[in-house]
Amino acid sequence: MRREEFKYRTGFIAGAVLILIGLALQLIVGSLNWEVFSSPVNFIALVVLCLLIAQTYALRKRFAAASFLMKRQAAVPCLVYVTLLTALMGLIRQVPANEVSTDALGLSRMLSFWPFVLVYLWMTFIVGLVAFKSLLSLRTVSLRNFSVLLCHLGLFIALSTATLGNADMQRWKMVCLLDKPTDRVINERRQVKQMSVAIELKRFILETSDEGMPRRFASDIVIHTKQGEQISATVDVNNPVKVKGWKIYQFGYDVEAGAASSYSILELIRDPWLPAVYSGIYMLLLGALLMFFTNNKNN
Amino acid sequence: MLWNSYIYFAVSAMLLWAVGAVLSLLGKRRAAIIFTSMGLAVFFTYIMMMWVMLERPPLRTMGETRLWYSLFLPLAGLIVFLRYGYRWILSYSALLATVFACINIFKPEIHEKTLMPALQSPWFAPHVIVYMLAYALLGVATLMALVALMQRRRQSRWARQASPFDGLNSLVTVGWVFLTMGMLFGALWAKEAWGHYWTWDPKETWAAVTWMGYLVYIHLGPTANRRLSLLWLLLCFVMLQMCWWGINFLPSAQGASVHTYG
Repeated sequence: MRREEFKYRTGFIAGAVLILIGLALQLIVGSLNWEVFSSPVNFIALVVLCLLIAQTYALRKRFAAASFLMKRQAAVPCLVYVTLLTALMGLIRQVPANEVSTDALGLSRMLSFWPFVLVYLWMTFIVGLVAFKSLLSLRTVSLRNFSVLLCHLGLFIALSTATLGNADMQRWKMVCLLDKPTDRVINERRQVKQMSVAIELKRFILETSDEGMPRRFASDIVIHTKQGEQISATVDVNNPVKVKGWKIYQFGYDVEAGAASSYSILELIRDPWLPAVYSGIYMLLLGALLMFFTNNKNN
Repeated sequence: MLWNSYIYFAVSAMLLWAVGAVLSLLGKRRAAIIFTSMGLAVFFTYIMMMWVMLERPPLRTMGETRLWYSLFLPLAGLIVFLRYGYRWILSYSALLATVFACINIFKPEIHEKTLMPALQSPWFAPHVIVYMLAYALLGVATLMALVALMQRRRQSRWARQASPFDGLNSLVTVGWVFLTMGMLFGALWAKEAWGHYWTWDPKETWAAVTWMGYLVYIHLGPTANRRLSLLWLLLCFVMLQMCWWGINFLPSAQGASVHTYG
């Protein structure tokens, strides 16, 4: 009994130390710059993370610390810190990633705040370790083991690939004028580039309800590819169009002109890591659903 | 016009739930189940009428989500009653449902037909309904945690008849599974509607806080301090309220959330 309590305490102390290290890093090197993780650094980081997890698992019998990480006495304190730091993020107004922090410490850019990053990394490591462990212990087949594996593996994949893949995501806005094909796009940093496809607005659609509220806005477009293909499509809110690895979203229009808007703003998004993130999300979803059936045995 | 008839449905449902709760306390199990179910049927009929009249699922405004909450609370209570047989649970769930049903009587919100384009998606109904179900289950779990905490203080007669611990862990787990579904449905929907599955919008941030808060409880073992665990569960419910409606009043979230639909 005393020993169990001591172990929870160990986890809480470890978390406090991690936060102190994070604070020191924050003061010395400043907020973390996530852009360094663009490809191929993110691939390397993911491989290193997985290798470290496998290595930690291999050392579980030699080092008490390695086996401790797989216990609930490590998971609970870690999750408590993650919960509280995320709540702190919710209490402090956040600024967009490309703006400077509004406070000296960097709390208004929590996603780049070192203690936050380290605590999340700690959680991802533990989740990955438990996933690895349950993958190897799958020899004893049971619904519960399968559910535990899917939850942890799914969360690990979703967390790691979403975070590391974020630097590879591209979001560009395109202002399409009626009947004038354009390939010029601009991003949040006001960088301008040319896309490999050109888009021409054929018709802007605005439907309003009886109360005069916009009920639907959409764009009939023609996409011109380099190969001379012409693809007609309608981009609706909630219904993006997929073209050559890009998703095209309806973003905006001339609100004052309404239905007479002479242009439509589209957003072009490319996220090469999306399939990995989605596989993690679906695994977590399935693992959680299985808990309906394993739930009674837990108690 | 539809909203005017709400009071009749709500009052009938509340009376049926109250009778069900009293019958349950008196040990009349079958009658309690019948009355509570009748109350649920009455309330559900009203929601379905709204759905038809509005020509869209009534899930957009806070008032509309409260309707579902008032429906799901006695439903969750009934499921717990059927499964674990706590006589007191129906009183609590009926009382809480009454509070939420009454808020809608005294503070009716304008329900117009228009559904903004961002909400016109097959994900809309499952995302919100699953969340309301989770909130209701975790609301009942919170009531059980409160009873358990009081039970430790003074061994009261009405609370001792069945240990509230038996069903609590299961209830939190099931509630958490629904939270997970709601959150992930939301992520998949957000990708289609806004271009990214997770943007740390204040609503998303608090959804993550709530999700991980309950995850802490689920990971607690039998050796964890019982009192602290129950108190943590209460804190989780506070964080859940923050996610549901608290961010509308939170200075840090003013104007920062895309999850505002009036």
